Amino acid sequence: MTLIDTLKDDTSRGGTPPKPEAETALSAPQAMLEDLIARASLGDRGAFEAIYDATSQKLYAVCCRILGQGHAAEDAMQDAYVKIWTHAGRYRVTGHSPMTWLITITRNTAIDRLRAQRSGRDVTEYHDIHPAPGSNPETAILARAEAGRISACLDELGEERRRAITGAYLDGLSYADLAERAGIPLNTMRTWLRRGLMALKECVSR
Amino acid sequence: MSERPEDTLPEDALLAAEYAMGLLDGEERRAARSRVSDDPAFAAQVAVWEGRLASMADFDPVPVPAPVRAAVMERIFPRPRKAPFWQRLGLWQTLAGGAAAAALALAVVAFRPADPGAPSRLYPAEIVSVEGDFRVVALVDMQSSEVLLARTAGAAPEGRILQVWAHGPDEPAQSVGLWPAGDNVRLRLPPEIAAVQGVLTLGVSEEPPGGSLTGRPSGRVFGTVDIPGVSPAR
Repeated sequence: MTLIDTLKDDTSRGGTPPKPEAETALSAPQAMLEDLIARASLGDRGAFEAIYDATSQKLYAVCCRILGQGHAAEDAMQDAYVKIWTHAGRYRVTGHSPMTWLITITRNTAIDRLRAQRSGRDVTEYHDIHPAPGSNPETAILARAEAGRISACLDELGEERRRAITGAYLDGLSYADLAERAGIPLNTMRTWLRRGLMALKECVSR
Repeated sequence: MSERPEDTLPEDALLAAEYAMGLLDGEERRAARSRVSDDPAFAAQVAVWEGRLASMADFDPVPVPAPVRAAVMERIFPRPRKAPFWQRLGLWQTLAGGAAAAALALAVVAFRPADPGAPSRLYPAEIVSVEGDFRVVALVDMQSSEVLLARTAGAAPEGRILQVWAHGPDEPAQSVGLWPAGDNVRLRLPPEIAAVQGVLTLGVSEEPPGGSLTGRPSGRVFGTVDIPGVSPAR
């Protein structure tokens, strides 16, 4: 999967902001994936199969992290690809890089399934595929430039906030879940985690 | 707004973060969700947070069990191909080669008039460009195998025309017709589009006069819309 490794949008792993040259070096495979998504949005099955072949191991990894390796992860990934196919026409609207868009859909799909498992209900769609009509090149570039810094910034937040944010994003924990685990009132948890999110935003924007 | 003095981010940015993470519940979640649809600035903030957070889910690839690929394709492309292979290939090649007349002849041959007296099958939809500078309202009439389109914003650039495209769930896009001028157009659906069952996708692109030479959109695709639950005329 060397292809996908080069598709990562975080050129800035290690704290250095992405440089124009890095963006250029990335643009070929990224543009290729964007082109495949555009073709898939017009019903090109071959393009969709190429997207699957180029990204499924990466997206399966997301499902396995959230749901554990096995049938639930496989089912979630199937659901995610159905959404990717159905919503390919809206990809550009989000302003995301291709991998960010694919990972976000997959993560949201897997989290919906995880929550459904926990509460014993059917999978209902918590998340929309955002139409995000306000996205523009500036926000997209901002998001891409910041993406790689989040890991270092999570470390800066300290272990407890890091665990809470990871727990929400990758384990689908709600404020109520987090508050219960920490043994504090929900509003206290919310205020505390919001400060963490603010600090995270400041750190990645530096 | 319940901004606290120590807050350095506006409330919206926090709500966007909480929504992107899935932390909101109940009424707050519903409110945030509808704002994503209606409030471009808020939607953009959610998108930025999604981008930030997605790198937390950037893991090393895990090999996928082989049957999963087949299962995905089976779910997305479930129906057996209905038209004979030679006919489908012929239509595609003539379209791709730009021999529109041959394709049209084939389309006319394959067209079956709908039964009079059957229930009407009307599907309204709107195509909106990403930038919001182009809007078309469409009404697909599967009973009469036509689509009516009306431009409500935007136009083809000077010296270019509009072209309408459509496809069903397991099909490549094919041209529905040209829209050289005017605010409205009524186009006959090609037989394969008139036979679509399930999600019908409509799109509009801008093309050179005479239409795309490639059989696919070659200019800017203003936008597409998925119309679910479409049934062909009986």
